[in-house]
Amino acid sequence: MLGRMEGDYDVVVVGGGPAGLAAAIGARDAGATRVLVVDREDEAGGILLQCIHAGFGLHYFKEELTGPEYAERFVARALDRDIDVVGSAYVSGAGLDSDGTRRVRVMREGHGIRTVRSRAMVLAMGCRERTRGALHIPGTRPAGVLTAGLAQRFVNVMGLLPGRRVAILGSGDIGLIMARRLTLEGCEVVGVFELMPFSNGLTRNVVQCLGDFGIPLHLSTTVVEIHGQDRVDKITVAPVGADLAPDLSRCREVACDTLLLSIGLVPENELSQGLGVELDVVTQGPRVSSTLETSLPGVFACGNVLHVHDLCDYVTEEALLAGRFAGELAGGVKRPRDNIRVVPGDNVRYCVPHTLAPGREHTIYLRSERPLRPAAIRVGDLVRRKLGFVTPAEMITFRIKPDVLDRFHGEALRIDLLGEPAGPHLAGAEP
Amino acid sequence: MSPVTTTLTCIACPIGCALRLTHEGRDIVELAGATCDRGAKYAAEELIDPRRQLSTTVAIEGARSARLPVKVTRPVPRDRVLEAVAAIHRLRVRAPVRAGEVLLEALLGEEGLAVVATRSLGRVGP
Ligand SMILES: Cc1cc2nc3c(=O)[nH]c(=O)nc-3n(C[C@H](O)[C@H](O)[C@H](O)COP(=O)(O)OP(=O)(O)OC[C@H]3O[C@@H](n4cnc5c(N)ncnc54)[C@H](O)[C@@H]3O)c2cc1C
Ligand code: SF4
Repeated sequence: MLGRMEGDYDVVVVGGGPAGLAAAIGARDAGATRVLVVDREDEAGGILLQCIHAGFGLHYFKEELTGPEYAERFVARALDRDIDVVGSAYVSGAGLDSDGTRRVRVMREGHGIRTVRSRAMVLAMGCRERTRGALHIPGTRPAGVLTAGLAQRFVNVMGLLPGRRVAILGSGDIGLIMARRLTLEGCEVVGVFELMPFSNGLTRNVVQCLGDFGIPLHLSTTVVEIHGQDRVDKITVAPVGADLAPDLSRCREVACDTLLLSIGLVPENELSQGLGVELDVVTQGPRVSSTLETSLPGVFACGNVLHVHDLCDYVTEEALLAGRFAGELAGGVKRPRDNIRVVPGDNVRYCVPHTLAPGREHTIYLRSERPLRPAAIRVGDLVRRKLGFVTPAEMITFRIKPDVLDRFHGEALRIDLLGEPAGPHLAGAEP
Repeated sequence: MSPVTTTLTCIACPIGCALRLTHEGRDIVELAGATCDRGAKYAAEELIDPRRQLSTTVAIEGARSARLPVKVTRPVPRDRVLEAVAAIHRLRVRAPVRAGEVLLEALLGEEGLAVVATRSLGRVGP
């Protein structure tokens, strides 16, 4: 029930976004009776609550929902299953009892610090956005430089406008969606500047969020300086060469009072690190087994804290699995350790999970390093399949049938993406 | 009427083919650049009646947040998006409200275009 937190639990889930809610449901459906979801915000739903546009649930609900609708349905499903959901509560750490039970430390508004015992734990803390510090943009430090997601929260939840004349650095989906959102709210969006020669967002967002409103997308261009005393008054932009270094001889100034950054997301893993969970240097999320278990026994991870997903439906799918395995572990199910390592090969930035076991079906999530077309995936010498078109903006999901791994006798399974480098053709994009 | 050629990017899938569309009024004479059939369907819709999904927020009183997210139940004509938003932004809502509640019917005077709340917000305070 909403707000109840008492006794011991089978599974405690940290984070009440789509990942946390689905993990709790997965655990409950796998037989765990006592499941708790803890979120530091005053209500569950995570980032979805500020994503008011449609585009969620096509895979899972077979209809296109907005973020808040998707969240509300999941919260209702969790409560229907007698899952305890508490808000305004922060998980700051967890200890380990000699019998393997975790003691989860929860700081809760108005209740102080409590320790909750649980057999299994699921990490679902989501991600945060990269900020100006990650890019080292030179210049002054005026007000008006903020991440696109923060602006989204200002506008969609708090009803505040971040500025009037807005430039956007980075063509990730959140930046593209905010370009449209701010235009609808009466702001002038002067342009989107993207370092890479291709957009990092979905083509549909480039067309519908920029093209429809005549907002220019400047590829292979970056911001080299921010100007302004108290408030941003202009930025300097410059084209970049093949080495991504800006050509300062061709820089120009763009007047604006706000600069939004849409330059990538980073899994939020302070808690994981505090627990001693081993992280992957590429995803910056935990290394997990084929049951989505981290290097710490009984601690699972899913959603954006594990690796950044572009589609919420995939978060849900992955989290249902993580929850199921956590629920089974809490119920005493023991599985043999994985004995196959997954190795990202040509054109593959990363693969999750990091290890596999024969005898079960697996879903592998991977991301390419560059756009490829036509593309194909090669899994060791076991499987080779055509994919059509791949781009770093879209995660690839690939299922491996149980019998496939039975034919594999090595220790390391290499996954390659093959194909010709390509760029999506974007009408209207200019250098 | 003489044929006109325009270019558009197909958004029916992530490849984003550049379509070159030659048309006389509402009739497509020639379509180049589409890699599959969905491109042709997309081009026809974009030419005859381009529409877009629309969601925004409206002011709400007596709730925990200042804005209530809303959406239009069916896509609105692309060229009237700004007009539609202006009409939606004139709405004022008082909590409580339930997800799915209709806040405005016949947006832009078009039957079937309803504005609905996309979340429930309870009443707080007096
Ligand atoms: C700004 C932004 C916009 C996005 N827009 C879209 C979009 O339009 N479409 C789309 O499909 N995807 C979008 N995404 C991706 C989106 O993150 C995923 O679809 C999905 O929301 C991820 O779910 P999650 O549960 O992993 O993370 P989140 O939704 O971020 O949920 C994590 C939750 O954990 C809580 N939490 C974190 N640490 C703790 C702690 N120590 N104790 C207690 N609680 C904690 C947080 O408060 C949060 O509620 C967006 C992401 C961001 C950051
Ligand atoms: S024409 Fe076909 S292949 Fe090309 S973008 Fe449209 S749907 Fe994709």
